[in-house]
Amino acid sequence: MLFLSTWPTDYLKRADPALAGPLALYEKIKGGLRIVAFDSEAAQAGIMLGQTLVNARALVPTLTAREINWPLLEAGFADFADWHSNASPMVAVLDDVSRFGDLVLDITGVDHLFGGERAMLRLLLTRLRLLGYSVTGAIAPTIGAAWAASHFLSSRVIEAEELVPLLNALPVSALRLNEQQVATLTQMGLKTIGQLRQRPRKPLQARFGLSLLTRLDQAYGLIEERMAPRLPVAEHHVERRFADPIGLMDDVLACAHDLAIQLAYRLEADGKGAQAFHLFLYRVDHKVMSLSVNSARVTRDPHHITQLFVHRAERLSGDYDAGFGIDMIRLAASSLDMLEPSQLGAFSGDDGTQDLDQLNDRMASRLGAMAVLRTQMVASHMPERSARLVPTQGGKPAVAAPRLFTRPVRLLPVPEYVAISAEVPDGLPALMIWRRQQYRLVKGAGPERLEEEWWRFAERLELVPPPEPKQPEPGEKLEPPPYIPELPLHEPDQKVRDYYRVEDEDGRRFWLFRLGFYGGPAMPTWYLHGFFS
Amino acid sequence: MISPDRQQRIAALRDTIADIERKPALAEARARVEEDGRFPMLAGGLLQEVFTDDRRNAGASLGFALGQLRGLLSDQRIAVIYLQLADEAQKLGMPYGPGFKHFGLDPSAMILVRPANMAELLWAAEEAIACQAVAGVVADIAGHQKLLDFTASRRLSLRAAEAGSSVFVLRYGTQRQTSAAQLRWHLMPTRSGRKQFDDRAPGPARWKVRLERGSLIKQHAEWVLGWTENGFSNFTSRTDQSIRPAAPLSRAVPEHLAHRLSQAG
Repeated sequence: MLFLSTWPTDYLKRADPALAGPLALYEKIKGGLRIVAFDSEAAQAGIMLGQTLVNARALVPTLTAREINWPLLEAGFADFADWHSNASPMVAVLDDVSRFGDLVLDITGVDHLFGGERAMLRLLLTRLRLLGYSVTGAIAPTIGAAWAASHFLSSRVIEAEELVPLLNALPVSALRLNEQQVATLTQMGLKTIGQLRQRPRKPLQARFGLSLLTRLDQAYGLIEERMAPRLPVAEHHVERRFADPIGLMDDVLACAHDLAIQLAYRLEADGKGAQAFHLFLYRVDHKVMSLSVNSARVTRDPHHITQLFVHRAERLSGDYDAGFGIDMIRLAASSLDMLEPSQLGAFSGDDGTQDLDQLNDRMASRLGAMAVLRTQMVASHMPERSARLVPTQGGKPAVAAPRLFTRPVRLLPVPEYVAISAEVPDGLPALMIWRRQQYRLVKGAGPERLEEEWWRFAERLELVPPPEPKQPEPGEKLEPPPYIPELPLHEPDQKVRDYYRVEDEDGRRFWLFRLGFYGGPAMPTWYLHGFFS
Repeated sequence: MISPDRQQRIAALRDTIADIERKPALAEARARVEEDGRFPMLAGGLLQEVFTDDRRNAGASLGFALGQLRGLLSDQRIAVIYLQLADEAQKLGMPYGPGFKHFGLDPSAMILVRPANMAELLWAAEEAIACQAVAGVVADIAGHQKLLDFTASRRLSLRAAEAGSSVFVLRYGTQRQTSAAQLRWHLMPTRSGRKQFDDRAPGPARWKVRLERGSLIKQHAEWVLGWTENGFSNFTSRTDQSIRPAAPLSRAVPEHLAHRLSQAG
């Protein structure tokens, strides 16, 4: 648990070294300018949260005041939190008390990499202090205890046996309660957590709700508190740290190739492969850049993985900015699945699907997953719905039985309006005007009538009118009326399409449809929907 | 002393050998055409440009490409890659799977790629050609593209010859860019054939194709092709009025013909 009490001002000071002296940030709250954040110098001068800016200025004449920029600070803190995943993969921001400042790191099984818990805490704190952040930190068995210790005590490592006495002595506000709860507890004369813990639980729950007891139990480790990691936790990852930061994309990709080979060994040892790979680049200046690629089939082929990253990187060459350099690269694999070791080479029965999947991966990694599509047949009569385009990486499409109707080879994504004239209203179309050109139609076949799928639009189909409510005869039991859902009635005439196949005098073959009927309330409209070969 | 006749024959043979070395697919097709004059089944490894005068004919040119692609698909080459710029879908229409059944293609065998610009499209085309599982690449380009110059098409044609998969570049308009395509077709849709049991309905598709470039054969460079379930069917060119399509006289002998017969008798 790391607590950065004056993070917003420290961050601004770091971004702009010219800012000096007592600094406070204000926000317009209920018509008044009130202080929402300040640095340690201002705190010494007696500035408090919620004070009006005028009062603060009167108290400290040298005060530098800025209006707070929430989006900028939030984005900055998110980057800052992500950057800490170079210490431990599970990093979360606790934002239930304040919007920034509280970072939780799950260091289970990580501390030995830094030479023990004490050394790790010292490293994390010193590197932040060197950068100009004021920070306190604590390592404890529970998140609640670590929060309490980092806010109310100095930086320390709390062992499991000293947890209970330490917590018992702390004030109740160390339980991450809201202000109202703290005020009520103080009125009751409960000052420390130990006193609170001795009270019977039922009245406490009745008075404060379940949240108080939950926080209490979580702090003592009686129930588990879950954290929501900001970055997805990968089961398999490999990383490399650099003594000197690197900057060139080529170096990054070369390193990614080495990492992919390492990762492939690990995955092979487990008999697994993965479908998604993520490359995290940790910049020196507290930012994490991530690149993700997907593979259509489970793989662990390092060459293929590197290729995908190369294509992905080419795509973003303009957006790539290494800043002051990258000091750590991590390659993580997710969506793992079993992958049997298979022999490659002369005798493998290759039917070409692997080649094709790799081609799709390469194209999708460079052009985007939504740019590489495959047709999936859907059980529907509506032409635009019956053939759906899905990304090729979404797995094998289910094969629906193809229909026997004549269908065009090209379909317009949006049907285009055309003007049609026919000899008789319901006859074959004879003349078409499309895109300001006139076509004399000499052949035609149709109509093929397609009704709208009423069940998709939350409409009610009424094939027979509901029966009249009968007067109950004396002595007979009253029949309950039939259930009629409260949905708008489906009006079949409005959305019926009559499709025609037509050919003009030069031999172009079109697919037209008419929406609505002649003789209906509105005039029918004609659309061009497709082209035959 | 070698006689001139012999010299000519040797030169012709040398040409043939050179052709075989450079473009085996083309040489084979030429031999076939010279044999019977029918539209040949072209093997893989060629870059073909299909020009049609207007975007309105987009359906016809895709049909012509699909017809050729059917013969190129095999157990090893299982896919067709279709490339179209993402913003040209509404201009040309997008390939529609259910319509492929008529061409004997499985809709899921076609992969649609929609790059954002021409450079990405050419990159995707080169990648796709190099893949061993791809039978053919169809690049559907609506407008005039500066990037699609001789160098680009030369790259495509060399790659296609090397990998053995075919490339069809569908182009629109009357303007021609220099290119290294082995064959350049000019395609026009023509009136469809007769639909069985319904004379008013559009029948099987027919196109008129003219070879603008490429030495398939000198004398014969124009075909009227139809598409049937079993492949292309050849018809004699409509412009060539001397021989009408051989339509069997299925009904009664026409009236005026009957008069003439009776006069002769």
